Amino acid sequence: MKRIRGIGAIALAGVAALALTSCTQGSATRGSGDGEDGAVTLQFQSLSDQPTTQAAIKKIVDGWNSENPDVQVEIIQAGWDGTYDKLITQFTGGTAPDIIHFEASSIVSFAADGYLADLSEYIDPDLKSDISEGIWDSVTVGDEIIAYPSTLQSYMAFANADLLEQAGVEIPTGDTMTWDELAEIARATTTPEHKGLGWGLASPTATMMSLALGFDGGYFSGEGDDAKIEVGDDELAVPERIHEMAYGDKSLDLTSLTQSGSDVLASFYGGKVAMTVQGSFQVTNIAKDAPEGFNWVALPPIEGSAGALQAANPQTYSVNVDSEHVEESAEFLNYFMGADNLAEIAYADALIPSSGEARSALEKKAADNPAWTQVLASGEGLEGPPFLKADKYTEWKDTIATPAFQQYLADKISKEQLATQLSDGWADIAG
Amino acid sequence: MTARRPWYATVLMYAALAFFLAFLGFPLVWLVSASFKSSQELNSLAVNLIPAQWDFSNYASALERQNLIPAAMNSLLVAVATMIITVLLSMPMAYALARLQGRLRAAGTIWILTSQVFPSILIIIPLFLLLRSISLNDTLLGLILVYVTFTMPFTLWMLQGYVAAIPVELEEAAEMDGANRITILRRVVLPLLAPGLVATAMFTFVSAWNEFFLALVLLQSPELYTLPIALRSFLGAEGQTQLGPLAAGAVLATIPSLIIFGILQKKLTGGMLAGAVKG
Repeated sequence: MKRIRGIGAIALAGVAALALTSCTQGSATRGSGDGEDGAVTLQFQSLSDQPTTQAAIKKIVDGWNSENPDVQVEIIQAGWDGTYDKLITQFTGGTAPDIIHFEASSIVSFAADGYLADLSEYIDPDLKSDISEGIWDSVTVGDEIIAYPSTLQSYMAFANADLLEQAGVEIPTGDTMTWDELAEIARATTTPEHKGLGWGLASPTATMMSLALGFDGGYFSGEGDDAKIEVGDDELAVPERIHEMAYGDKSLDLTSLTQSGSDVLASFYGGKVAMTVQGSFQVTNIAKDAPEGFNWVALPPIEGSAGALQAANPQTYSVNVDSEHVEESAEFLNYFMGADNLAEIAYADALIPSSGEARSALEKKAADNPAWTQVLASGEGLEGPPFLKADKYTEWKDTIATPAFQQYLADKISKEQLATQLSDGWADIAG
Repeated sequence: MTARRPWYATVLMYAALAFFLAFLGFPLVWLVSASFKSSQELNSLAVNLIPAQWDFSNYASALERQNLIPAAMNSLLVAVATMIITVLLSMPMAYALARLQGRLRAAGTIWILTSQVFPSILIIIPLFLLLRSISLNDTLLGLILVYVTFTMPFTLWMLQGYVAAIPVELEEAAEMDGANRITILRRVVLPLLAPGLVATAMFTFVSAWNEFFLALVLLQSPELYTLPIALRSFLGAEGQTQLGPLAAGAVLATIPSLIIFGILQKKLTGGMLAGAVKG
């Protein structure tokens, strides 16, 4: 009995110590707001990860801060990884920053939950008219514009010019290149030593959804909870063509289908694949990492039956609806989105700026780099995709679409089974 | 008189040990190798363990760009504090859990097991709100408390196993000699529990040192970021990875862990209880 009491006392001491530790106070989270001198400080959570982009953003913010002593902007550097989860807790806990950097496909769900300010009345009219309706569409929820679309990426083909020349293939120089041409070049450049095409499709959904627009394959119709899916021939055109190149023509490197885009670059540099389809941002990496004397070219934008269209899924800058300084935040973003600023950021990130004026500025800036001509050309066909309007898209993409596309690309299921999985999966998720 | 081990058994034993070491050590060796390679070499198909050209710029950019040193200090502070608090709190609780009989013990055991089944994503928002209500969100102290809470059940489970392995007869003998509960704990149990405490401390340290998700969500000020958060900033949008600086950062990140293990592993000696109780 005495022994039990002793043990109980020890356990109680442990619990008490834990309780005491929990009561210790720390410093409260700093927030945006008004300083003692009346100046407003805006918190700007930036995800830019490239050092050159970070430097460009810092320069823009410093420029703003020196011109606007009453409205100071403070950069909070964060990373892309895990941002969605972080934002959920920030919004729920009421600690989200004033200005939020993200991407359209991920930010719209926060808008649907009412966390983002409607920026329609604050956007500079000149900027508004300088960005295509299709791109504005990608950041419009209901009738509210919930973000400034800044930079975009497209998918484009890069080729090893020497391997094309060896195969007697003429490098396409037109405004666009059809899927048939791509398949033809891939076939012509396939030899026992190397394949014609390497395509990193470990996470295939974004690519499939984007390029499907070139065949008028929208997948979704309607908005929000009412979005409906339709998986027909137009939607399946891209996966079917990739499948045909992989298993029919045998011109597409099967290993690459299980890799990320960046992983495939090693095979491209090593001459194991004659072409590779990558995000346009890889232009900078290829220029930097390709071996000495590696002769590469960027091919024209890939065109489907409906044109060289791709999904606009821009990086975005939104304003927290609970911010006490929505107007000032929007003013800063109007400045931030100025042509020269946006061109600077786009050049650093090797992405396509959303506004026409910024694209012109970038053309001048990158005039001596022929690959940039194709990057900018591929940006011409970017339009707001229907999937951005579907509330449960992200969940469907991660849990249904990605495994279904992966199985199809691994030749484990048929085209019909793929269509069924995509449709039934949406029905399960969207109810 | 024990029989001599045949020579081939010794050879086999060392061969197995060498294989095991190579198996465990290769990723680390590869990481070090990658950290000295240029981005061109990292993006080539060549598989060289020795870099063609030693490139130290990855370390420079890792240290300059992503605030690795302050992040490492934050991680060290959080991991060491978590380790100390967890071990100090777990020790008496584990003793009570191992030695108590009856319903209280059963309830304690059920609580420990139940607390292990909740994924952190499930409780992160309430946790965040709770910390905010006591002004501990976005503080290292808040993060330490959360880590203690998360590691405590498992460390308790681990430690109570070690306590249970200590023969109760030793405590009874000390009690017969007039020792009170505290003295028994301090003079008898604690010395015998040392290897268990070290193992628990190591586990806690590594858990806190490597944890990413909770730190990502609970810390908002860049100056408070821990090492895993700083390292993840080498991963960009669209799966872009700055492999060289990431490898260099990861190498630097393993050094404190290796030092801690180097210090603590000497204490991990078994067999302390052999012959303690005569049958």
